[in-house]
Amino acid sequence: MSEKVIIEIRDLVKIYKGSDEPAIKGISLDIFQGEIFGLLGPNGAGKTTTISILCGLFHATSGSARIDGMDIHSHLNEIKRIIGVVPQDVALYPTLTAWENLTFFGNMYGIRGIKLKEKIAEGLSVFGLEKHANKKIANCSGGIKRRINLIAGLLHEPKVIFLDEPTVGIDVQSRVVILDYLKELNHKGTTVIYTSHYMEEAEKLCSRVVIIDRGTVVSMGNPRELVAEHPEFKDLENIFLHLTGKDLRD
Amino acid sequence: MFKFFSACRKESLILIRDLAGLVMLFIMPMIMVMILALVQEQGWSSLSKDPSIPVLLVDEDHDTLGAKIQDGLKSSNIFKIFTSIEGKPITREFAKEKIAKGSYNVAVIIPNGSTKIIRHKVQVMVTQIVSGIMMPVDNPFLDIQSNDSINIIIYFDPGIKGTFKYAFMATMKEYSMFIESSMIFGSFNTELKKMFPQYRPPKTEYKESVFFTEIFPAGKDEKAVPSTTQHNIPAWALFAMFFIVIPMTGSMIKERDEGSMIRIYTMPVSYFIIFMAKVSVYAVVCIIQFILMMLAGKFILPLAGIPSLTIGSNYMGILLMMIVSSLAALGFSIAVGTIARTHQQAAAFGVVSVVVLSALGGLWVPVYLMPEFMRNLATWSPLNWAHVGFIDLFLRDATIVDVIPQMAKLLAFFIVMISAALFYRRINSPINS
Repeated sequence: MSEKVIIEIRDLVKIYKGSDEPAIKGISLDIFQGEIFGLLGPNGAGKTTTISILCGLFHATSGSARIDGMDIHSHLNEIKRIIGVVPQDVALYPTLTAWENLTFFGNMYGIRGIKLKEKIAEGLSVFGLEKHANKKIANCSGGIKRRINLIAGLLHEPKVIFLDEPTVGIDVQSRVVILDYLKELNHKGTTVIYTSHYMEEAEKLCSRVVIIDRGTVVSMGNPRELVAEHPEFKDLENIFLHLTGKDLRD
Repeated sequence: MFKFFSACRKESLILIRDLAGLVMLFIMPMIMVMILALVQEQGWSSLSKDPSIPVLLVDEDHDTLGAKIQDGLKSSNIFKIFTSIEGKPITREFAKEKIAKGSYNVAVIIPNGSTKIIRHKVQVMVTQIVSGIMMPVDNPFLDIQSNDSINIIIYFDPGIKGTFKYAFMATMKEYSMFIESSMIFGSFNTELKKMFPQYRPPKTEYKESVFFTEIFPAGKDEKAVPSTTQHNIPAWALFAMFFIVIPMTGSMIKERDEGSMIRIYTMPVSYFIIFMAKVSVYAVVCIIQFILMMLAGKFILPLAGIPSLTIGSNYMGILLMMIVSSLAALGFSIAVGTIARTHQQAAAFGVVSVVVLSALGGLWVPVYLMPEFMRNLATWSPLNWAHVGFIDLFLRDATIVDVIPQMAKLLAFFIVMISAALFYRRINSPINS
């Protein structure tokens, strides 16, 4: 991990149309190049909203954000070339095969020809999906879909990758493969921004985490350091519950 | 550019993979066009061909008028005349009851003595004329006004179309006028014979001397006869073409719901390229749809006795008109698909607006039959522009230059719709909609 700030967020506010309550209320944070950064929080905390603003899906109501020194409003097209996004839902075409999906998304990132074929073959190989290359997505299992969903966001070797709950609803084997690959990517220098509800997973994987609740940052730091700072709580999950409460969220 | 072609390839694959949906895209509009053309052919031109409209005839006259009307109706090849049912002669009461129940559409009652009244009236008139020649001065007979008249009763089913009613009445008046003229001719012969015993009446009967030749000036080809086919086939084909709004918006909303569109928004590709790829692939679908419907009008519908569709000879003009009409339909679909949040919204708005635009555009009822206010509104419907363009190309042998106004309006409509969609996408997050 370097000291270079790759993502700089300042006083970010988002109020959705028709809502009085801001979804995020002036979040400020820095993410360093080469980090695996965990965005943690209960449902409705503002994690997906924050990621969506950084990816250009939403405009922030106020505040600013920069990725690799570029403002997300004025340099969105340049930013889109260096980020990869793995959405929470499987964002693939069900009637196309894995290969066809990856070819299309690779093309949209501007990759083509032999380079693309090599990248797709490599991605499928890493995740053990070679034999599923020509299978329609609709006929694949949830774990396979998740892995192809991940490959689609990595084909262009992004500097920064956003993963919105990439391991939700899959078996342990698929989860281990995905997390191992994220670590490998991170070793190669890719910054990983990751949201999850699995505290144990975040504690093992992330170099730093931020806990967001009701649109504000309630805690931030290295997961092990956070646990050390709160000796009364034995792990990150208990700290999380202490900070965000046990009330059920929408 | 390769992003555009890649997006086109993706759209094509998605369409081809849904083979049943693709077949329905082509077959259903063809079935719709053929059924509507058949139904409307029967409904609108029912006075032109098929001698299947039943008419109950109650001939109480039993003389020339009744016989002539019966012969005239039979020889018109439009009506099937019933003077008796199950061997029993039809009476006034029976006819009225059958019409009231809706079992038959029309009944004609020719009252007893009708021919005698006409004959007497003609006799008086001819005698007056002859008296005027023989004794023109101080002849009181010349000033007698005959008030004799006959009243032929026609019962119509209340549900019958106004156009049919007026056409039937006109036919009946034509027969009675012809019969009166024949009687006048005959009476003159009789009176002249009385006056001039040496007079020999001509052996020929009175015959019509005024005929009408229908010519429809249509460029080089004056044989192009307007028919319901010429109106209906392009009209319903355009109606079906604009119904592309359903599969197109369905595809757009499905992409959004499945999340693939959200992923695309995070990629370095313009929404315009994605739009245009979708438009290009669906434009091919629209054009194939339209060609199939034209072929049905030209080759399949004539098998059912419907006049074959005339498409003229300006194939390049037709192709260009098909392209711009498809673009207009697809631009509209893109705008609806971008703004609508759910399948239900898109389907409800899409269907109702296409029905309204087609009705306004004169696809259901020709524009010239509309009230003036509606005629003015019709000029704002893209379906009207396309329909007028096709009619000009098919029937009036129009050149490409002749239909440039229609093409320009359709293209402008497409540009406005795409711009509206892009503007909406710019100010609204794809996740919100």
